[in-house]
Amino acid sequence: MSGNNAYGRLLTAPVGIQEDAKQVVLTMKNEIHLRIGGIICSLRCRDAGDWKKLEKIERLYHGFLTQETGDITIELAGTDNFSPEELNTALAGNKFIHEENIFQSTSQAIAGQYDLNRGFIRITGERNLINPDMECNHLNMLLSLAYYTACKLKYDRPPAMIAHSCGIMRSGQALLFMGPSEAGKTTIARLCGKKDGEVINDEMLLISASPQDEKDFSVESGPFLGKFPSKRSLKAPLRSIFLLKKGSKTGIRRVDRSEAYLKLMRQIITPAYIGQKDKRAVLSLMSQFSDEVTRAVPVYELEFNLDGKSLWRTLGELD
Amino acid sequence: MITDNRMVQAENIIWRRIGDDVVIIKDDGLATHVLNKTAAYIWELCDGKRGIDEIAASLCERYDVSPEEARADARETIENLTKAGIIKYI
Repeated sequence: MSGNNAYGRLLTAPVGIQEDAKQVVLTMKNEIHLRIGGIICSLRCRDAGDWKKLEKIERLYHGFLTQETGDITIELAGTDNFSPEELNTALAGNKFIHEENIFQSTSQAIAGQYDLNRGFIRITGERNLINPDMECNHLNMLLSLAYYTACKLKYDRPPAMIAHSCGIMRSGQALLFMGPSEAGKTTIARLCGKKDGEVINDEMLLISASPQDEKDFSVESGPFLGKFPSKRSLKAPLRSIFLLKKGSKTGIRRVDRSEAYLKLMRQIITPAYIGQKDKRAVLSLMSQFSDEVTRAVPVYELEFNLDGKSLWRTLGELD
Repeated sequence: MITDNRMVQAENIIWRRIGDDVVIIKDDGLATHVLNKTAAYIWELCDGKRGIDEIAASLCERYDVSPEEARADARETIENLTKAGIIKYI
């Protein structure tokens, strides 16, 4: 860890760093703090050229900003070695190699060092990792990694798991729609009119067991980007899960526990964390979580023909 | 090739009982196997202490099945589990 006097403090950019940018620089920050479930993640950029991205993230994630100090700080020293397309390809098959407190990716797109006693991770990686305009959203991946790492430090095991899903709040309860890319999560969010419910997020959500009763699960929004990102912090009891399947008609069937368990597991963002060495322990966490959720709430397969009317009518029959 | 050696569950897997089934996932997170009630019972007997004969005897005790049938079922299931790489001989 190199000596960084700025560590742990919120800095404003030094005025006059660029004469023509004075007006902007005065209000720009090099660090923002985001609340993700019970974790506060600070995102910091070393280079002034990246601060505008932070400003944009700040606007997008307005409902999740906090002034509290982060449980974990990610500091990015940006590089520009990959085109956006190259970065997408590189990260798709990416693996991390750890050595003491240093890690690097097989793709060469990310490297870093960490001091987990101080909750600090310094990443030397592509600037597009934090670019909210990227089609393939690496920022969600980065925040998931920060979240799970902070959970490991703070709680040992994550109190909430992040899952690929579209959440709709309906009659005070959350319905979760899950499936791989192109399964229809965003279409469901788009088809959700005011009378049908409120979109929580169409991409990623936090799912957690109630501290009072482990049989009760809740869904919570987080600062995750999608076509319908969460504008505000929302939490609601989880009522049911729908596994999406495109079809010529719309209908539902209850799926058996084994199928539900396996399919839910595939939608959980792997709770991998910086410094993790035991892959089986991570898989076991996902397995236990998927088992508990599918035991607690009904899971249906929703065959869906992309028609809003039949969708809400079918879901209404379950109410 | 099935022998009378004892079998043990592979180390590179995690497994969980879900209802009557046993769901097994290899630690690459990709390959999954769902075992029905009988296969799950045989799977749980692969504890490094039993061979096919002992497993077949346990099947006879638990289910209404002849020794020949139990041995054939145990042999077939173990062959499948071995091929899938989720049990191994010791």
